This record gives sequence, C-alpha cells and structure tokens, in this order.
Amino acid sequence: MSITTFVLRRLASGLLLLLALSLLVFALLDASPGSPLQSLLGTRPATPELVAELRARHHLDEPFALQYLHWLSDAVRLDFGRSISVQAGTPVVDMVYGRAALSAELAAYCLLLVLLLGVPLGLIAGIRHGRTADRSISLLATVGFGAPVYALSVVLLYVFGVALGWFPVYGAGEGFADRVTHLTLPAVALTTVLSAVVVRQTRAATVTVLRQDYLTFARLRGLSPARVLIHYVLRNCAPPVVTSAGMLLIAPLSAGIFIEQVFSLPGMGSLLLTAVAAEDLPVVQGTALLLGALVVLVNLLVDLLGFLLDPRVRLHAAGEH
Amino acid sequence: MADMTDMADTDTADMANPVPAPNPVPAPGTASAREVSRRFRPPVLVALAASGVAVIALLVVAGGWLTPYDPGQQDLMRGAAGPGDGHWLGTDALGRDVLSQLVAGARTAVVGPLCVAAGALLLGVPLGVLAGYRAGGLFDAVINRFADLVYAFPAMLLVVVVVGTIGDGYWFAVAVVTLLVLPAQIRLCRNTTLVQARLPYVEAARTLGLPAARIMFRHILPNIRPTVLATLLLDFGGALISLSGLSYLGLGVPPGTPDWGELLRQGQTLLAVNPYMSLAPGLMIIIATVGVTLLGDWLYDRGTAGTDPR
Amino acid sequence: MTYDAQTRRTRPDREADGTGRTSGIGGADGALLSVRRLHVYARPDRAHGPRTLVRDVGFDLAPGRTLGVVGESGSGKTLTARAVTGVLDDGLRAEGQVLFDGIELLGRPERELRPLRGGRLAMVLQDPFTALNPLLTVRAQLRESLAPGTRRDRVLASAEISRRLREVGLDPDTVAGRYPFQLSGGMRQRVAIAAALARDPELLIADEPTTALDATTQAEVLALLRRLQADRGMALLLITHDLRVAFSVCDRVLVMYAGSVLEDAPAAALARSPRHPYSLGLMLAEPPVSHFVDRLVSLPGQVPAADGVADTCAFADRCEWRREVCTTTRPGLTPLPEERASACVRIPEIDDELRTRLLGRVRKVPPARRRPARPLAAPGEAPRTTSTRDSARHAESTHRTPPGPPSGRTTGLYGHDLVPTTPGTPPVTPDGAPFLTVEGLGKTYGRSGTYGRMSSFAGPTRSSRSVRLKGTTTEPMALRDVSFELREGESLGVVGESGSGKTTLARCLLGLTRPTTGTIRLGGVDVSDYRKLRRKEHREARRLVQMVFQDPYSSLNPRLSIGTTLGEAVTAGPDPAQRPAELLERVGLPASYARKQPGELSGGERQRVAIARALAVRPRLLVCDEPVAALDVSVQAQILQLLREVRAGYGTSLIVITHDLSVVRQLTDRALVLHGGEIVESGETAALLDSPRHPHTQRLIASIPGGN
Repeated sequence: MSITTFVLRRLASGLLLLLALSLLVFALLDASPGSPLQSLLGTRPATPELVAELRARHHLDEPFALQYLHWLSDAVRLDFGRSISVQAGTPVVDMVYGRAALSAELAAYCLLLVLLLGVPLGLIAGIRHGRTADRSISLLATVGFGAPVYALSVVLLYVFGVALGWFPVYGAGEGFADRVTHLTLPAVALTTVLSAVVVRQTRAATVTVLRQDYLTFARLRGLSPARVLIHYVLRNCAPPVVTSAGMLLIAPLSAGIFIEQVFSLPGMGSLLLTAVAAEDLPVVQGTALLLGALVVLVNLLVDLLGFLLDPRVRLHAAGEH
Repeated sequence: MADMTDMADTDTADMANPVPAPNPVPAPGTASAREVSRRFRPPVLVALAASGVAVIALLVVAGGWLTPYDPGQQDLMRGAAGPGDGHWLGTDALGRDVLSQLVAGARTAVVGPLCVAAGALLLGVPLGVLAGYRAGGLFDAVINRFADLVYAFPAMLLVVVVVGTIGDGYWFAVAVVTLLVLPAQIRLCRNTTLVQARLPYVEAARTLGLPAARIMFRHILPNIRPTVLATLLLDFGGALISLSGLSYLGLGVPPGTPDWGELLRQGQTLLAVNPYMSLAPGLMIIIATVGVTLLGDWLYDRGTAGTDPR
Repeated sequence: MTYDAQTRRTRPDREADGTGRTSGIGGADGALLSVRRLHVYARPDRAHGPRTLVRDVGFDLAPGRTLGVVGESGSGKTLTARAVTGVLDDGLRAEGQVLFDGIELLGRPERELRPLRGGRLAMVLQDPFTALNPLLTVRAQLRESLAPGTRRDRVLASAEISRRLREVGLDPDTVAGRYPFQLSGGMRQRVAIAAALARDPELLIADEPTTALDATTQAEVLALLRRLQADRGMALLLITHDLRVAFSVCDRVLVMYAGSVLEDAPAAALARSPRHPYSLGLMLAEPPVSHFVDRLVSLPGQVPAADGVADTCAFADRCEWRREVCTTTRPGLTPLPEERASACVRIPEIDDELRTRLLGRVRKVPPARRRPARPLAAPGEAPRTTSTRDSARHAESTHRTPPGPPSGRTTGLYGHDLVPTTPGTPPVTPDGAPFLTVEGLGKTYGRSGTYGRMSSFAGPTRSSRSVRLKGTTTEPMALRDVSFELREGESLGVVGESGSGKTTLARCLLGLTRPTTGTIRLGGVDVSDYRKLRRKEHREARRLVQMVFQDPYSSLNPRLSIGTTLGEAVTAGPDPAQRPAELLERVGLPASYARKQPGELSGGERQRVAIARALAVRPRLLVCDEPVAALDVSVQAQILQLLREVRAGYGTSLIVITHDLSVVRQLTDRALVLHGGEIVESGETAALLDSPRHPHTQRLIASIPGGN
C-alpha cells in the first residue's frame, strides 16, 4: 500500500508542476513581442482566410483563461498545433518525434560513459581520501564542474576533430558504427561535465560512509572485504548518488542545446533553439512541454529508486499513512 | 599557543559527537586535526585559481588601456586570419583584432554575473535567513514551492525559451537568470540557517529576548558566512556560464558587442582558419568559472574547518 | 587454525622493558591478551609535530577475566582498545606489543587480522545508533556475522539467529526482520552484542557500551554483558568513563589519564583504597547519589593533552600533593603489594592520607598550597567583588576548602562506611507564594512536514548526521497534564529518561516551544505563549527566567568573543552598566577571559560562561537542562557547586532537568519524575530518592551502577 501511495503522491506533485509549466509556456504567446495573432502569423501574409483560421483554431477572441484551457486540452492529446516557420505546416508532435531519437541516443551513450567513469572514479577518490589519487580526481571533477559544456565542446572539437582529425566535426552519421563515431565527441564533452557532479557526489558519499562506525564494526566482525565493499560501502553510497542521478538524466536535455549546436546535431535541443530563433511559437511550446513531461517522469523514477534503496525513506513514507 | 590549537581541535572532536554522553570524545581528534591543517593550507591550485581570477579582474578594470587595437575596428582587406601582423590571436571575419575583443569582452562577461551574484546576496540571503529562522511559516512554504518548481526543470532550458521568445535584450536575460538563481540561494541559506537556529547559542539569544533581526544577522549570519560566500561564487560562475552561453546561442548580447560567448560562436565557423578565435574565449570562460569554483570550495573548507560542528 | 599452531610455539615475551619500570603487572603466564609498551602516535601535520596520544600502556588479561579501563575524555582508553583491535583512524600509528594468545597483533596486515576478528576477538562500539548498517535488517547483519559453516546453511543460520537474539533478550520474531532505525538504542546495542558474539570469541572488548543509553537500559545491558561473559568464560575488556560501572563489572581496573596508566589494581582493592591522587580525585568527584554533601569536592583545572605531559607526572598540574620530583620526570608504574601498581612517586608517603580522605571525604589542603576560602557568596550575602589577581585555577581551588565536621554515618557509594559532611538536608528552605505555576501543561508534536524531512537529504555529508539526530531526539515526546508549583528560591529537579518529555517541559518554560494545552504563570504573568505578550511584558518575562543548556560546545556563538557574548546579554538585562568582567568573576573565571573565543575554552569553562550569560539579566529562575551531562566527571562537581552558589548567593530558583539522580540529590529540594510525558511521582528530594513509591522511580534508582 505504501508504494502506491508514494507513487500517487509524487505523480500528483509532478502533474502540478507540469500544469505550472504549461501555464508559463502558454503565456509565452502573450508575452512575446507583438500580438498573439502576429506571433502566430509569423512571416506569412495576413490573408483574411488565414487570419480567420488562426483565430478559430487558437480561440483568440476568447478570454485568456479559456484560450489556455482549449490549448491545454489539445496539448493533453499531444496536439500542439502546426509549425509556423521551421517546417511550416508540419504537426509539432511529428517534428519532435523526428528529433527525439538522436537526443535519446546521445543521452544513453553519455549515461553509459558516466556510469563507467564517474562512479568508479568517485569511489576511488573517496577511498583514497586525501591522497594523490583523490586530489587528481577531485581536481578533474572541479574543472568539469566549473567548465561550461559549450566551451569544453569547442576545445574538444578543435583538438580531436580539426587538429587531430580523429572524429567527424559535423552531423549525426548514418548506421550504427558511423553514428557512434559521430556521437563520441559530443558524448565525451557531456560526460566530462556530468561525471564531475557524479564524481563529487560519489566521493562525498564514500568519504562519509567510510567514516561510519558501522564500517569499523563490520571490519571488527571479520567480514570479507568484498562483503564490506558491496553491502556496506556501495549500498550506503547508493541513496545519495541516486538522488543526484535525476540531474544526470535531465542535464543532457539542458546541455543538449549547446552540444547539438556545437556539433550540428539535429536533436531536440537544436529543434527548440531553431524554433526560438525563428519565433515558431507552437514548436517552442510543444517541445518545452514535452521536455518538461520527460523531466517529471525522470524525477518520479529517481524518487522511486531512492524509495526502494533506502528502507528509512520507505518506512517513513509508509508510516505517514 | 600550541596548547591552544590543541584544545581547539579537541573541542571540534567533541562537537562531532551529538550523543549526549558524559564522555563523548573518542580521543583527541587527530584525524580531524590533520584534516583542518590540510584544509587551511592554500594549495598551489587555489593560488593558480586566484591569479586567474585576478587577471580577469584586471582586464575588467583596466582592459581599455591594455588592448592593442580598438576591438570594433574592422579590416575587411585582412578578414579572418591566424596570428600575424601584430594580431597575436589573429582577426575575425571582419578583420577585427581577436585579442582586443577578448580583453574588451571580459567586462561584458563579468558585469552580468556580478549583478546576478549581487541580486542573490541582497535578496536571496536575507530571504533565506528569514525563511530558515521562521521555518514552517507561510513565507517558508511559498519559497519552498517556488524552489521546487525551479529545481524540477533544467534552468538553462527555461532561460533559452523565455529569453529567446520574449527576447528583451541582455538585461532581461540577467533578470531571468537572477530569478532562477534565487530559489537555490534562498533554500541553501534557509537550510543552513535552520541548522544554526536549532543550536543552543541561538536559543540562548532568544531566551535573553534579543530582537529577531539581531539574532538573524549578528548571530546566525556570521556562522553561515562560509556557505553563503561559497554559493555566491558558485552563483557568479553559473551566471557566467548561462549568460555567455546565451550569447553563444545568439540570444545574449546584441551582435557587435565584444563578448566571449559571441566570439566563440563566430569563431567556431572559422575553426579551420583561426582556431584561436574560439579557443581563446573558450579558455577564458573555463578559467573564470573553474577559478571561482575552486576559490569557492577553498573558502568554504577554510571557513567551516574550525567552527563547523561536523 | 594456523594461529593455534603458532600460539603453541611462540610464547609471549614477558620481560620487563629494562627501564626499571614494568608496564603492567598482575597477569601471569596464560594471559589471553598481553599488552606491553603500547604507544599511539599521531602522524605529524602542519598544525602539530608528531604527537603521542597513548604512552607506555601495558596490561594482561587472562581468559575468563574482566579488565576495566577507566578514564575521562582524552585519557587514551578508546585509542588503546582500537590499537589492540587494529582499527585506529588514518593518521594514527601504534607501537609496542599486543599479544593475543601469543600472536602479535600490531603491524599485522588486515588480511591476517580478519580470521581473528569476530572469531576469536570481538569488539562492541560506544554508539549503538551508528554501529549497525542502516540498510540491512537485523537478520542480515547477524547472518553475516556467523561462522561460514553456519552462515551458508539456510536452516541452520535461521535457527542460530533466533537463538542468538534470544540470548541477548530480544524476541527474534519481532526483531529479526527490522532495520536498525526501527529499534531503540538499547535494542540496537543488544543486536550489536549478538553480532559481535556470533562466533563465540574468547575476548570481547566493549568500548563504552552503555554510555549512549538511558540509565535503566544501561543497567540492563551491563547485566547482559556480565551474564554473557560469565556463561561463556569469555575475557572482557571494558572501556568506560564511569568508575562505578567498572567496579560493578570488573575484576581488575586500569585508571588512565592523559594517555598514561596511573593506577592498575584489583577492582575491590582500588575501591577500598586508591593509590593514586587521581584515582581518589575521580572517586570523590562523583557526586554521591546516596546523600547530600554540603560541599562538593572537585578536581581543579582540566585534563591536559597527552602530548603536553611527556616529562612530568600527567596529573601533577592538578595534584595537591605535588612536589618538585613530580614535574621533573615522568613516573612509571611502580609495583605495590596486593598485585597492584601506581604511577605516583609519593605513594609511600601519602598512602595513608589518601585512604583517610576517601573514608572521611575530608580534604586537607597542604599549608603550602592553601589559599583563603573565598566562596562566591555565602547564603544571604551579596556577591563580593574581589581583586583581579584571580584565576580560573584559583577560583576552582575554593571548591576544595575544608567542609564542616562530620556528623553522622551512612553507607557510601563504594561499599564501605563513610561520613557525610552534613545530614541529608539542603541548606535553603524556601517559603512564600508560588513564583512559577504550571497547570495542565500538554504538548503534542505534529509532523515536522515535508521540508524537515527533505532537508536531511540535502547533502551527503550532512545527511547521516541529521538522520542520526532524528533517531535520538525526535522520538515521540509529549507532555500530558503536567502541573506543579515552584516557590521563590526553591530548587526543583525534573527527572526522566530520553523521551520522557523533560526537555520539552524546559523549552515550554523558556518559550522556545509553545505548549498545546495548559498554562504557565511566571511571576504573575501568563507566559504560555510568548508571542501573545506585549513588548514590555515580554521583556520582563525574559528577565525572569534563563536557561543553561546541556551542550556547552554549541551554547556559545563560536564567532563572538566571550566579552561580546556577555556584553550583549547585559544589554538585555536591567543593569546595562554591568561589565563582562564582573560576570566572569561571579562564575569564577578571570576577567582576561573576556577577550577569548569560545574555541579556546574547555567544556567546564564554557559552561561557566553560559551560566554567567544567564546571570546577566538577573533572572529569578534558572532552568538547567542536563547542566553537567556533557562534562568530564572531574569537572562536573565544579559546575554543580557553582550552581549551588548561584542559588545561595542570589536566591535564584532552580529547575534542574536531568537523568542523573546524583545531580538531583545534590542540587534540589524537591523533585518530580517524568515518564512518558506524565509526572509519575513527586516529593521532597531526599524522600523521593530514599523511599521511591512509583515502580518507574524504583527502577531508576535500582539501575544506578554499583547500587543494590
């Protein structure tokens, strides 16, 4: 019973968040320069037929609240209208579908690298706390943490793409191998930035856990090093690290805008950016809201994972109802 | 004096043990003593970071006198080219000197983030301390909901959408970034204040009937100062990343303004012709942000080493 | 098993170390654990050179015997235990010889120690709240502690786990499936003991196993340890700060101080006649629970750092029998008759005096060191101002002025006749109208809300701390229908264990928490809700009552100097002309302390400053929440004595919140016992403690270590 209550509560708060975002996104239409009609027309000539159609479609004659409700009920059915200028006439959802795959591939690639690099490096730094290995890893993490992804990407692009010529500098590639080659530099850039956070989190968690009495007590009972590492160190490090994993899944979206710009990748980020630049409001609204929904979903999953990993959270939540 | 430090160390070890026991100290906390001294030593890295930040500060203040050329002066005959003819870092597509733009860009790069940090300091810190001291109140709840909202979404995405669509220039972007930095700053101050507010020294001050404002700003604030300082530096770095990033995407400063993000954007297309045009601003941004991050970490460690109950 | 073979071949080296002193006597051949010349050093760092934290410790422990290592904080007792088991923190290094059944443990790599740990020697840590893995059930933690053969067989393991849990007095059906955070402190410590003993080791080292527990739980866990030790014929090394605990459990006791062993003796012999001034001081400093003492005896000064006493007797600085010889070399343990040893070079001369002192509890200050008796303020007398040549040490020395002549006999704490200094009546008999009236006070706590919970996950480095605090402090505390009165000048004790509501009561009185129901009237003003008071009333109410907190380390703002803290308190009081120096003097600290930062002061000194701060507003009621619980035994009496003097000198009423019955005995006229938020018994302190009626009070009194 506890787990359903927990999920329902988180789901409810997620939906509330989405509602807030949808209001913000919808309000963009009014907030953007010019009248909503002008925004929706874009550069198209204002023929009476088109104007009438837009008025009817967007309920422009009704009050703001009703407009919003109409828009929202469409949005729930994934109907965000049609693109104005980026790909005039194409339904927004179709455009997003066309771009989502590449972004997902990049995120997955990057996540794999982070798990293979960030977590072990953080563990090593935590275990070798205060020694050379820790200092070197922590320094790298700080650089990665502080450096903006676009600056890092350009440097990588120049060194490995232009100067050394090891990787392609442009586009997404065709077929699996080619795709992997094309996505390697972007993924490495993204991984550097994300790993930094993971390394810092894992290191801090490890240092804390290693100081705990229960670790000393485990050693004092003669438990095997493997058991101590897995059941004591790793398990106790997991909850705080997993809590930061939500950021891991969300950051590729944020950083994706830059990465896709640097490496000319046609993903969600570049779609959003192009739409913003072209003032194609339906596309901006649709993309932003879908990304928001994704974020809410990811946060929910992360909460759920934390819930499963830590009996204290689990039973605390259960005790409330 | 040696005895004094010794005692101080033992006391820190004492405080690390929250269980009310007549004899809570495992031993004079030697591990923590080591930790403290290690933290107090300004490492080479911190010195490097500080000098990097100092150089950028110098460029901001005295950049005008240091540039060899007027950053806006065009040389269409020359166009984009690598280093040479007194242009140490080459020229851009319009033949403008990259080094001069880089130096002039420091001011643009730093001014916005400074405003953001100032906003965080003047609004975020007092509101956060207030929310923490009156935790559980209405104001606290409102602040927390807002922070939830901002935390839940990738901030950069919001900035791009809002600034890109509403698009009212650089200062609008600065305002949006400040608004998005505030909740984190407020919540951080709130949480650290909350920890302090439950300590006996604050309760003793309350028992004496001292005014709330005095307790908040004379007792609590000095004790959370290391955290506040460190986060302000992080806010500064984050704002620099965001604002330069907006310029890099073409959504920040108006074209023609010397700016690192803008330079990076234009330089990227000329990577094969004049790589310095994008590498130099890229490195400057990295030096600035990593520099303040390192400084923030160090200040935090140093500030909390002696007094933090941990 | 390879170790057994090794054992038979190598016999431990038992020669004296050639310097003329033996480090440890008493044990003979056949010792299970034999420690010689054990030193613990801290590696040098920026702030310090290499430091010695434990110096030349030696002892033997025979199979089936019990050895107590007693000392205050910084004595090195825990480091000794950790050095023996090889779990010293990073940056610490042990040297010397630790033979366990003939096997040298020091310097042995972790890989080779592992088969010994758990199997042949085990250790239980102080804090049951942190010693168990929070993410594993009790069952899992017991199972992993079992011997491999048992562990791997599912049925066998399950039966064994049940048996082990029953052995420590827990019900396997309800406990095995639980996580540590779902158990009370006492239950957790039982689980930890079961886990430590899961492979029936020959030696158990218990490091302050009951210090973090409530008095009644403490007694139960001690009894359990004693039973387990006797049943199995297991050797037990008990580390404790409490001599009474050591005397009640151990055959032999080692008294440690500032990293050195000062005395080593059979427990009964030590209790009868200590052969070191420090041992005596420690025994006398414990405020007796059995009777009221007119003048509490305390050791002056505080425990030095082990490293600062390399070339002198560690205790010389606080010793009234000090001679020049004490400070020129470090005395080693010298063997004495009756299988005991003392590190006091003057013991042949002063032995008789020590014994007399213990029997009579009469302290004679040697003429050379005698200073004029200068009490803070005699009863009924205004506080006196004295010259500034005064020092903390000086002031503290007043606490050992000779008390009045003995007048009656009772049975003492240490099981022999001793003479109390006055009959068991407190000095002040208050009368007059009630000054504080509490009626029907109730408090229920709501949930702390989402954010309180979330903030404990704010950062990985802090989370463990807040979760832990949760476990220990936010247990369901509430008050139900609490009513009592307090007259001007009266001293009231509020006794209870954790969760009894005693701290909530204090916080309600101070307006730090608003009661849910009931009223608090203070000096004629209803202060149930401070927020409803008018500005002037509020100010006046704040001046009526002040608080002394338990933890002297966090009760002073670390960023403000002592002078600033006191100066600020003065501004809140009725007399803004008061100077911090006067306040400091009133609590026996020199005026120069005004310039110091809290970090430079010891715990006892900080508690004095906290009392001075409270006195700044001339309160008529002082609420003391466990005023000495966080202090070392040798310092506790100083603070108790100071509180008495405050009461006598200013007629200040006291409410003393405590779990410690001896504090109640020494400080209060009346007392009430809180249990589960309700008053279960109240009355005159002497009557309450001597003939308790309520079962809970009886249980509290029965659980005093060394009592009946």
